[in-house]
Amino acid sequence: MTDPYKTLGIPQNATDEEVKRAYRELAKKYHPDNYVDNPLADLAQEKMKEINEAYDTITRMRRGGGSGQAGYSSGYGGYSYQSGTDYSAIRQAIQSGNLQYAEELLNASQTRDAEWNFLMGSLNYRKGWLDDARSFFQRACNMNPSNMEYRQALNTVSQTNSPYRQTGYGPPAQNGGFDMCDMCTAMMCMNMMCNGCR
Amino acid sequence: MFGYVTPDLPELKLKEYQRFRALYCGLCHELGLRYGLPGRMILNYDFVFLAALLWDGDVPCGYRMRRCAVHPVCRRCVCESSPALTTAAGYSLILAYRKAEDGVEDSRGARRLGARAARVALGRPYRRAAAAYPDFDRQVSDRLRLLKDLENGGCESIDETADQFARLLASASGGVTGNAQRPLSELLYHVGRIVYIADAYADLAEDRKKGEYNPVAARFGVADGKPDEETRQAVLATLMSSSRLAAAAFELMPESRWTPICENIVYLGIPKMIREVTDGTYRAKNRGLPKEPEKNIRRNGE
Repeated sequence: MTDPYKTLGIPQNATDEEVKRAYRELAKKYHPDNYVDNPLADLAQEKMKEINEAYDTITRMRRGGGSGQAGYSSGYGGYSYQSGTDYSAIRQAIQSGNLQYAEELLNASQTRDAEWNFLMGSLNYRKGWLDDARSFFQRACNMNPSNMEYRQALNTVSQTNSPYRQTGYGPPAQNGGFDMCDMCTAMMCMNMMCNGCR
Repeated sequence: MFGYVTPDLPELKLKEYQRFRALYCGLCHELGLRYGLPGRMILNYDFVFLAALLWDGDVPCGYRMRRCAVHPVCRRCVCESSPALTTAAGYSLILAYRKAEDGVEDSRGARRLGARAARVALGRPYRRAAAAYPDFDRQVSDRLRLLKDLENGGCESIDETADQFARLLASASGGVTGNAQRPLSELLYHVGRIVYIADAYADLAEDRKKGEYNPVAARFGVADGKPDEETRQAVLATLMSSSRLAAAAFELMPESRWTPICENIVYLGIPKMIREVTDGTYRAKNRGLPKEPEKNIRRNGE
């Protein structure tokens, strides 16, 4: 079994608070919400499981063998959709990564309603064809403006913000932050490079 | 490729900057060692990133101080050869040669002459690289051919054209085994998609002048070479979505000694490049050697 502390990226002597913080950050990073319709969702789920297990193990060990508290673990599994009768097979095919089958079903479908456009969008999103995905989601939203799921999907592909990085310059516990001294050393180093090599 | 994938240097720690430069020099020396001077001429940043990604966490990294033709007086710290550098060098050579081949067929005038010269110069090194990586060579030639068919047909979907280039790049993960393969393939897919679309967007005016096909113009109907605000927003959104997916894939890669640098590239360098390209502030000369941090500070007026 792997070292649970290593899984969470913290030293053995980390305080309970640090354990919790490390766990929360990792859980946020690998949260299934970040991997909706993502071809790597299963890997993220595995990672999530590892993190949960590591956290459970640590809390159990620290409480002297009592049953650990499962943090974020419950209720993360399958992402539940409200299922339409005709489309549930397609949804399942997209979710399980059987994209070719999903595409065949969608192309064979006679109707071109909001749900169809939404699923077409999801399929394209999963393939990485984000521009087409956006067009389909847009159409789904136009047809059914009140559906939150469609709107959320459209939002995801229309956002223009950069990926959000949880870890900045590494955890403060390890390098003690950025103070004036670091700044001075950095300036000195830069100066040396400036003069030495030109 | 095109040198679009670089770290955001001012945000890089000094020690990471030095290691990044050593990796850059390492790739150059590796190209020189295996493919001679013509190999060195094709050195570019995208493949330094690839070398960093291909680096197995367990493989140690040695550094040596070495001189070269560009830095004859002051020795530079250079990464010693490693499997990742060898692979990245081979892949970049194959891609450069295949692109030169395309250039001979497609372009006219001075460009064609240049492509022809590159094809001749890279011919022998290419054969060596192709013999070492036949799978990648086949992927590159297949994908570029399909891409050209789409471009000649005036394809109106940027996803369809970008998909070919993205898959080409994703196939660079073919030699990797184990847990890292799928995330790496996904990451490279989106990096390839970003590079292809960003390059098309940056070339809008130039392609318009020459009357050549441009995927962004074909998709959004950009008539005068100047995209309107709606087009700009759509391209920005699709590229940023790709960069978020690239970051999500990157988080599933195993840790290696290059993780901090790759993290900078994925979370800061690529989004910054996307912003600059869609703002029109991205300049071609940025594609050259990296500015040292202090020069960057001066240029930014800080």
